Amino acid sequence: MINSVRNTVLSVLNKNNYGYISPSDFNLYAKQAQLDIFENYFYEYNYQINKENARSSGTGYADITKGLIEVIDMFSVSSPLSLSTTPPMVSNIYYLPSPTTTGYDYYLLNKVLVYTTLLSSGTTDSVLANKCIDSTATFVTDGVKVGDVIGLVRTNITQYVTVTLVDSETELSTTNSIYTNTVWDGVGVSYVVYNNDLQEAEKVTHSKITMLNNSLLTAPSLVYPAYTEEGLIMTAYPNSINDIGRVLSQYIRYPNTPKWTYVSLGSSGEPSFDQSQPDYQDFELPASDEGDLVQKILQYAGMSIREASVVQFAGGLENAENQQQQ
Amino acid sequence: MAYISQYQYYENGGTAPTDENWGSYQYVSLFEIVNNFMLMYQGNHSLINNEERFKILFHAKRAIQELNYDAFKEIKVLELSVDDQLRFVLPSDYVNWVRISKESNGILYPLSENIQTNWSSAYLQDNTGKILFDIDGKALSPQFSELDYARIFTIKPTIYLNGGSPYNGMSGYNDGGDWYFERQIGSRFGLNTETANSNPTFNINSKQGVINFSSGMHNQLVVLEYVSDGLENGNDSKITVNKMFEDFLYAYIEYAILSSKLGVQEYVISRARKRKGALLRNAKIRISNIHPGRLLMNMRGKDKWLK
Repeated sequence: MINSVRNTVLSVLNKNNYGYISPSDFNLYAKQAQLDIFENYFYEYNYQINKENARSSGTGYADITKGLIEVIDMFSVSSPLSLSTTPPMVSNIYYLPSPTTTGYDYYLLNKVLVYTTLLSSGTTDSVLANKCIDSTATFVTDGVKVGDVIGLVRTNITQYVTVTLVDSETELSTTNSIYTNTVWDGVGVSYVVYNNDLQEAEKVTHSKITMLNNSLLTAPSLVYPAYTEEGLIMTAYPNSINDIGRVLSQYIRYPNTPKWTYVSLGSSGEPSFDQSQPDYQDFELPASDEGDLVQKILQYAGMSIREASVVQFAGGLENAENQQQQ
Repeated sequence: MAYISQYQYYENGGTAPTDENWGSYQYVSLFEIVNNFMLMYQGNHSLINNEERFKILFHAKRAIQELNYDAFKEIKVLELSVDDQLRFVLPSDYVNWVRISKESNGILYPLSENIQTNWSSAYLQDNTGKILFDIDGKALSPQFSELDYARIFTIKPTIYLNGGSPYNGMSGYNDGGDWYFERQIGSRFGLNTETANSNPTFNINSKQGVINFSSGMHNQLVVLEYVSDGLENGNDSKITVNKMFEDFLYAYIEYAILSSKLGVQEYVISRARKRKGALLRNAKIRISNIHPGRLLMNMRGKDKWLK
């Protein structure tokens, strides 16, 4: 889609010889335009909910909310949060999603889940493919069953594998994780086994958490966990939530930064679209938003080349579309 | 919470304690109540929106506490021996007592609550009646007050017609069918029926957390029937409510939130209040188990001949 958008933008700009934007400028505007539209989904979603509450929105094919949820869910990611291991080693502090811990920055942390029942934990002391082997473990006695989840950290990423067979008191067969198929390739891997009971943790403001912790009736428990956010970390309550992989997050990530990649052709160095470049990244928005992207980029480009009529044209198109959607 | 198999119900899946799930189907857990409320009564299209879960949890627990005090009829029973100081320490989840009985030869004898206090704190005094203080200015106290000492270490006289009564074991004579004692002749006329009980008595010191018994109760077995608040000593996963009250709980939470929320129309609050009240009445009627079979059993007694 990115090449199509660029061609359309250039076509509009060149129509009256307004000017030309370079690939690097285009990529900058494309990123901004995508972010604008991405963020607007959430405002649009709220607008549609209000319309629903006022009974002025339809169902079936007229269910605009449903379409917006689908688009937003395209950016949904579920992944465990990494336990902060800088002092103290055991704490209830976890890192929020970021490119280094979960692979993505998060726009909205929608849900935080906590595994309530820890069945077993330890460190592996033998190596066998797809086997968690710990000679000191008592997996059968601990009640580990097929389908239970094992949290572990490999290559600094907290990840899960699932128990496929309880071989013995000291040995479990597992699946691979989504990150690697060699999770058990070394001894000394710390692991924690949970059963599948998950409870949703509630986000609480800093102004409430102290009173909540002191409340006899509503203090956070493993049945009703809570968390606060501070910078790049979240603190889970009760503070017994302090194990590897105990906290699972579902969040809406930012869209990847689009990049129109090219090769230079001929002596003039005319750029030619080449999507085989390793850093190529298409827009992540649905095709129906191509028009919006063109308008947004045109606005930025018009500002750049100081051509008011381009900005006006793109702005007019956007307003017309907004009115139509309402 | 999923439905469980019959093996899970009767044997707890083979794990101890095997009786864990017996009777569990009568109950709905607090977790389910809160979960269902968040799912069904809160949201963009509902009367309640954007409420924190801990508020729902708070109102749910408050409702469960209130129900436990009277509506549930779920009495806890604890048997303990009375200690050397004639005390019975109240259970850790005690809120109020229902009945206190003495166990003797397998039979429970309900005890009366003493209408007079049988315990007291005291200060040390000199022979002029002045209170004695320590160097910090605190009044000095004896280990036992005279009242407590007499009750614990002697047979303290009592107004009840038991072992501590002034008439107990006293010889008398019969004249014209009436019994008279050597002294205090005529004192038993105008007997106070409230105190005319031969069993030992008790008095509860709520702040100290003990039941104080009358003299002669050393090492006696006492059965305490009491009500708790149903919060299972803070273990949220164990809190349950009889299903008869499930709908009432939803209504209670809804009303509690609506009535404390700014800008909610009074008719909405009023509707919620009426719904809550009606559901509580329904639940109480249901839990009281008034049904034809039971009434029939009672009615059969009306034809019994009294001789």
